[in-house]
Amino acid sequence: MRKLGFVIFIALTYCFQAIAQITSSDELGVGLRFQKTEQLYWENGVGLDYTSDLLLHKHIHLKMSYATSRIGSAMIGNALKQDNYLIGADWRFRPQKDFQIFAGLNTGFFHADMESSAFDVLPHNSMLFSLETGLFYKFKFIPMATNLSVGYNLINGDGVSKPGTLFPVYYQLSVFYYIGKK
Amino acid sequence: MKKNTLYIALLAISGLLIACNPTPDITNNMLDSGQISYAITDSLQKHLVSEYLSNPTSLQKNTPVIIAAHGYTATTFEWDELRHYADSAKTFYVSQVLLGGHGRSYAEFKKATWEDWQSSIKDEYIKLSNLGFTKIYLAGSSTGGPLVINLVKTNFFANYTKPKGIFLVDPIIVSSNKTLTMVGLLGPVLGYTTVELSTGEAGKWYIYRPQETLKQLMSLINITRLDLEKGITLPDNLYVKVYKSKTDDVADPISALLIYKGLKYDWSLYKNIDVELVDSKIHVFTRLSGREGVTDHDRTLQHNTFKEMETKMKQ
Repeated sequence: MRKLGFVIFIALTYCFQAIAQITSSDELGVGLRFQKTEQLYWENGVGLDYTSDLLLHKHIHLKMSYATSRIGSAMIGNALKQDNYLIGADWRFRPQKDFQIFAGLNTGFFHADMESSAFDVLPHNSMLFSLETGLFYKFKFIPMATNLSVGYNLINGDGVSKPGTLFPVYYQLSVFYYIGKK
Repeated sequence: MKKNTLYIALLAISGLLIACNPTPDITNNMLDSGQISYAITDSLQKHLVSEYLSNPTSLQKNTPVIIAAHGYTATTFEWDELRHYADSAKTFYVSQVLLGGHGRSYAEFKKATWEDWQSSIKDEYIKLSNLGFTKIYLAGSSTGGPLVINLVKTNFFANYTKPKGIFLVDPIIVSSNKTLTMVGLLGPVLGYTTVELSTGEAGKWYIYRPQETLKQLMSLINITRLDLEKGITLPDNLYVKVYKSKTDDVADPISALLIYKGLKYDWSLYKNIDVELVDSKIHVFTRLSGREGVTDHDRTLQHNTFKEMETKMKQ
């Protein structure tokens, strides 16, 4: 399952790149994602943000990200190593402005590494489905932007069939560099 | 116009907070009422080894004794069956501590902190150590688990007789109900939550859970999780066994893995703590009394666990 998630992630990356080459109105941002789950781990990683005039005049943004505790809480302690593969779409209010508000939906795949086979009987894979809203700011003189948001995982651990470290509320900060823009 | 709208909005929010934070409807047959107290002298004398063996003989001092700590909102009742087992086996004693703030009343519970909950475990440990008991063990069920782990983390035992072993039954490091992680936000609105008890459980658990105590619970398990993330080094000769139901809608089974990763002996010993994922769907599967729908399989699991604890203490 984890490999499948990685393959999907790579495939979608190529799709975004291909789309970005089609029209000149495209905006493709690549960047870093810093995520903190409420009462749990830091999970950091990378992200992509894509929009175009074709997407309702840039009201819609497509995005994907990979965040993991491997480069977060698990780097310096006994936190579980876990991965979040996400794709999603946001609706941007005021898309032509530097300061924007957005709300969106994400889906994807979650995997927690049990590390010892004795614990493999516990649930450690899950589909992700989350709501997210936040603020986006486009810098004036450099092709960069940042967003800060709060998300809610509608699927989360229940002690029965879902991974125990899949928690509901998370906060994330992303910083993007927009390719080909000045 | 805008100012008026703001005032109306503030009034509405205040009204909502007041309306959503009522006092629970407590009746005299509930533990919450304070009419059924487990903290009275008679009860303590019956449940605490330091009380009923306050002048132990040499033989008694060298008999293993387990200090058994119950879970959040529970009472000493949670470990009654281990006590009955010990009374029959006559090979060890069980000292059933009543956690601070528990088994008293809603008002007492509401104002107690997790350190208050833990204080009764400490008190009994100090008393048994001072009385000369040489083989002291600890058992923690559910919230009793992080309370005991915290004692190891804070090196509480340094000035007393060293414990021989720790048994944790369905310890909670991660709650199965993830809404608990939002108690800081939702707590003031909710005021309290309610649980349903079976006829056999009535009067032995609190029904109402004040949001203040839910915050304390969240604080305790978060502190313990962070301590485990940093790593807690165990003394070489301290035996630790974790029993965890594979399916548990109260203490998430992942708690067992977090304890396994976080409680470590010195690396040179090449050993880990013992963890057993138990084929059960019951939270605190060692307490069957008062439950409905208990099966032979549940009784076998309970008996085998008590037997294993007894065997370990004989070694």
